[in-house]
Amino acid sequence: MEAKIEKSQAKRRRIPVQAQMAIVWMGIYLFLKFFIKPPLPSSVIFMYMTMTSIGLLMYVSVYEDVLQAFKGPIVDFLRGDQLRTGSWRAARWVVLGLFPLLVGWQTYSSTAPSDQPPAENRTIHPAPPGEFVGLSNPVPNTPENVMTGKGLFAALCSPCHGNFDGKGPAARGFNPPPANFVDPGTIAQLQESYVFWRIKTGGVGLSVEGMPWKSAMPRWEVELKDEQIWKIIMGEYDGAGHKPRTWE
Amino acid sequence: MRRQLDCLSWRREMMKNRRKMWSVGGTAGAVLVACAVASGAAWAQESVAVRAVLVSSVPDDPAAAAWNSSVAAQFPLSPQVHWATRILEVTAKDVKVRGLHDGKQVAILLEYDDPTQDPDDAAAIEFMVGDKKAHFAHGQPMAQVEGGSVNIWFWKNKDSKALDMNAKGFGTLKVQDQQDVKGKGVYQDGKWKVVFSRALATGDAENDAQFNPGEFINIAFAVWDGKKDPASGELKEKGSQKAVSSWWYFRAEPQPDYSAYLYAALAIGLALGFQFVLIRKLKKGQSA
Repeated sequence: MEAKIEKSQAKRRRIPVQAQMAIVWMGIYLFLKFFIKPPLPSSVIFMYMTMTSIGLLMYVSVYEDVLQAFKGPIVDFLRGDQLRTGSWRAARWVVLGLFPLLVGWQTYSSTAPSDQPPAENRTIHPAPPGEFVGLSNPVPNTPENVMTGKGLFAALCSPCHGNFDGKGPAARGFNPPPANFVDPGTIAQLQESYVFWRIKTGGVGLSVEGMPWKSAMPRWEVELKDEQIWKIIMGEYDGAGHKPRTWE
Repeated sequence: MRRQLDCLSWRREMMKNRRKMWSVGGTAGAVLVACAVASGAAWAQESVAVRAVLVSSVPDDPAAAAWNSSVAAQFPLSPQVHWATRILEVTAKDVKVRGLHDGKQVAILLEYDDPTQDPDDAAAIEFMVGDKKAHFAHGQPMAQVEGGSVNIWFWKNKDSKALDMNAKGFGTLKVQDQQDVKGKGVYQDGKWKVVFSRALATGDAENDAQFNPGEFINIAFAVWDGKKDPASGELKEKGSQKAVSSWWYFRAEPQPDYSAYLYAALAIGLALGFQFVLIRKLKKGQSA
């Protein structure tokens, strides 16, 4: 048993402490960056990685032998006079040349005036006003009503929303583009009540985080009766092959 | 025997080197990833914007060679469907836009395809005015956001001039008392080139878009094909029946600023100095 422990310790010792730290550091970074969904903001990742770095530095500084194992090769490499092969000497010069360049590049990136337009973090589905929460479709879901809804959709919505896929002939100039109802990320995730709000009050009805000034969605309450809007919703779900989201 | 010993020492040396490679390579990798994390915020998302290049003088001729110094931005157009009276098909599908400024005047060149030259052919540029957001359709009122007004520069072929206007919702379009905008259009080979020009700043920040070099402001475009329907004799595109774009960005480019290069050179100098002192200290420590 003891022999086994010694063997595993010897094996661990074969991987230098710097490499162990680098592997742990990169492993945590890759985990945070690619495995956590929804993706973490870069500021949060930066915070976690700072804590990881501090933790690793504490780990190496607790025991004198670990500290020496960590420091020794780095000091030797930087000092350079004990490096035996030419390739190590060359690598040392590359590192000594790259470090100031990297510092210069970081300084340039953080001080150069930005020439990019302001970043736009638009919320696609902002919260609806209270009066549009929990409404249920008052129109019976009959084949006739679905057909009427589809007819209204074809006449009024399809120029932009196309065949429920957001690719109508009038869609090309609009930013944000018209919603694609076939996509599982749109009406399939929404309740009928929410869709009713979006159709009735249009783009100008959005809250500030939805950037209403950019949306081309008409304010259909000016031209349609509520009943017609509910029928369009039925036609939309049927045509896109989705069911409205419910609380159950 | 000696050969065997040589072989053993060579292997030992190799193992030692490999360990060093592991440690230095791993550390260098971690440093590179750390830099990538730190500079992640600098890789901002790219949006489409018109950039008015700084030149010595601004031309009002759409065919002037100076326009070649500005890279064209292209924006797709859609039929105006937001508000009645709508239109479902329009002639112009895209508009190419270039900008120039000389520190005092700004000029914006619109270029778009139109198979026929007609007296009622027209084009317009729209800007948000001030800090308040305005809806791209003539500054339509918004339910949950207090919107601002839009400044519209409108050019029509038969008028051979541009109008400076304001709107805050459909039906509120008003021609300004003070006209500051010039417009000139040239039709050639099935293409319109229309130049709008104005002073970068006017004394009327309440009604006019102001262009501060280096600052992005919102811009949108509209185009009317003035062709008449042969059967009815009516204009196919008129009023709200037009080709429109969404909001995009416009910026008068600022004077070149080289201070970042200076700071970077200073940082490189400091880093070199730091390395020099550190290595010197390490070597001294070794000899002591």
